[in-house]
Parts: sequence; C-alpha cells; structure tokens
Amino acid sequence: MSSGLADVGLLLLSFLVPLICVLLGLPPFLRLLTRMGRLSEDVHKSPPTKVPEPAGPILFIAALLGEIVVATGFQSWVPVAIMLGAGIAFIIGLADDLFVLGGKTKPLLLSVAGIAFVGMVAFRPDLYLPAIYFPIIGRAAPHFIIYTVLAVVAFPVVSNAFNMMDAFNGEISWFTLLTSLALLVGVSLHAAYASGFSLARVGATLPLVAVAAGFLLFNRYPSRAFDGDSGSLMFGAMFAGLAITGGVEIAAIIAIVPAILNSFYTLSSVRGFVERRRMSSRPTYIGGDGLLYPSTEPDAPNTLIRLILLAGALSEKDLVKDVVYLTLVACILSVVTSIMTWVH
Amino acid sequence: MKLAPLFGIEAVAFLLIIAETYLFFNFVVPVGPIPHSIAEYTGLALLKLILILALVAAWFVVMVGLTRIYVRAKIRNAPRPSS
Repeated sequence: MSSGLADVGLLLLSFLVPLICVLLGLPPFLRLLTRMGRLSEDVHKSPPTKVPEPAGPILFIAALLGEIVVATGFQSWVPVAIMLGAGIAFIIGLADDLFVLGGKTKPLLLSVAGIAFVGMVAFRPDLYLPAIYFPIIGRAAPHFIIYTVLAVVAFPVVSNAFNMMDAFNGEISWFTLLTSLALLVGVSLHAAYASGFSLARVGATLPLVAVAAGFLLFNRYPSRAFDGDSGSLMFGAMFAGLAITGGVEIAAIIAIVPAILNSFYTLSSVRGFVERRRMSSRPTYIGGDGLLYPSTEPDAPNTLIRLILLAGALSEKDLVKDVVYLTLVACILSVVTSIMTWVH
Repeated sequence: MKLAPLFGIEAVAFLLIIAETYLFFNFVVPVGPIPHSIAEYTGLALLKLILILALVAAWFVVMVGLTRIYVRAKIRNAPRPSS
C-alpha cells in the first residue's frame, strides 16, 4: 500500500472512530445519566423539559480515541499536547458540572490547560512555531516569550468563549462543527502549500469535527443531550490547541468572532467574570407565546442572543438558525483569510 | 436582512483583528534595541505590554461603541409579547 493511500486511510479513521464512538456511546450514556437523575431543565421551553447532562465524558472519550489514532498512526506528539490541554479543560468543566465553580475560578484554572500545553514544548520543540502567519504579507518574526504568553492566555479565553455559546439547543454543536470545519480548511491549506508541514496536524483536527458532527444529532433542537461545561470547555481547549499547532491562529480567531464578541459584550455589560447562574438580570425571557424576547432592562447583559432578539422575537429554533448564520459568515471570512495566507 | 447590522459588526471585528495583530507582531514586538540589562529588558517588556493593552483597548472600544449604537437604535422598538 502506498504511503499516500495509508495517509488517507488514517485520516478517514481519525474521523470515523470518534464519530462512531459518539453515535454508539452516547445513547446508553444518556440512559445512565437519566437513571442517575442527572437531568437539567431546558429553561427555554415552556413548560421546561428535562434533558440528560453532562454528555461531556463521552465526547471527551470519543475525541481522545480519535487523537490516539492520529498519534499512533502518524507517530506524532501533536495530538498528545492537544489532548493534554483539552483533558485538563474537560476535568475543570466536569468539576463545574458537578460542583459549580466560581466565575473567576474557572478562567484561572483553565490557564493550567494552557501552561500544560506550552510545557510540552520542553519535550517537543517542533510542537508549534512561535510566529504568526498573516494574509498576503506572510510570516512575522518568531518571538518565543510573547507567543508563549499568548498561547497560555488563549486556552481560558477560547474555552470560556465556547462555554458562553452553550445556551440554546444545538448552539454549541453547530458552532463547534462550523468553526472546526473552517479550522480544518486552514490547516489543510497550510499542509498543502507549506513544505515540511506534517499531515498529522490535519488529522488532529478531524476528531473535533467528528465529535461535533456526532453530538449535533443529539444536541440539535429539541435537544436530547446537553454537553455541560465538561463538553464546551473541552471543545474550546481543543480548538485553541489545534489553531496553535496548525499555525492558523488568525483564521481561527476570525472563525470564532461571534463567540469572542459574545464574551466581550457579556463581560463589559456585567463588569467582570460572573457565573451565568449568578447574574442579577437575564438578557432574554420567554413570552406567553413561547417566543424569546430581549430584556429591555438597562442593566441586562448584552449577550449576542439579546442583540439578535432586539431585531425581533424568535422561537428557540429560529434563534439558533440566526446564530448559525452569524457563525457561517465568520467561518467564510476565516476561510478567505486562510486562502489569502496560504494560496500564492 | 435583519442580521445585516450584526454582519457589519462582525466584518469590522474581522478587519480590526487582522490590522491589529499585524501592527502587534510587526511593529510592537520588534520595538526598541536589544536589551543589555535586566532594567532595560523589564522596561522594554512593560512598554510592549502597554502597547498590547492599548491595541486590545482600541478593539474593545470600537466593538462596545458599535454595539451601543446598535442597541440604542433597536431598543425603542424592541419586540414585546402582546398581553
């Protein structure tokens, strides 16, 4: 068998293994969660329904299996570093699912994921290049210290941004699927046009795409599963790690612009890190007609959802569609950025 | 079309991210001579940190400003459930 064919087979396997793991593993796990009474209220339904949560552990196992395929198949340390960061974020998220951590504790703890990730450079200096590639202009000069600090900060920022996009049925799964596809395009173009760029970095992106695609079937409206913070923080940490190892930082930031804006709006309007369950007023409410309305209170947090609803009340399903449209536009801009960076 | 203003805000965020990261890595990072003492190194690091924060603050101010304009324009006609 030629090495090209073997690579394609490995890439296919690194997509199929996590996808099948989610599709086969999630139904029995959801039944177990239901038996254990781990059900959360779907507060945007009238009357509220109960949904099993957290599905994060199965999503983590699925992503881990996919990355193991990549690590062993391509003999690469990239998936190890990614799953180290994602694993720590997953454990912090699981602790939050079980015990509810404070609004300031979570970002601080998530920095550990970033520190562990960049710490891997001590063992594998080729893990990532501490430089940024720009559209048209090309690569900036490498700067190890500044890049390392930014890489550490990226983990809590991106993980929290993903976590804040996890409020409505299907929102986080659609968001992760679209942004990871934009990331895959960027990393693939990097691999195709830059010499010496390992295919393992492309392969490492596929488990995130596969897990998000599989989870979407359970998380889309009406949700049969919630990922919990263990799932959303892990998604964010994986995304951050893949953007760094794939050398597509700018395209990755642009793909998640809706989430970044959402976090900035929320943080600026509530003036700091406040756990969402402890916010004094809600950004939205459900009307008697079952539609979602924006809060008109002056101190209501300015989330992305509130901004969308200011243009008109929507059902939860239509609201998530609008979030998908905003994410899609950001992902198209991200792909344009990747093309301008790599295709010469 | 009701999402058009938010698409516009996204596009501004996109352009600012590209412009500011370019400014940061091409102008802020190489600022100053090679430091010869710890004092020089610390001073230069602080200067770069201040310049980074200024870039982040500029992005933040533009984004919050655009959002405020959008919220002000929309809040008067915000949808309310018919009672």
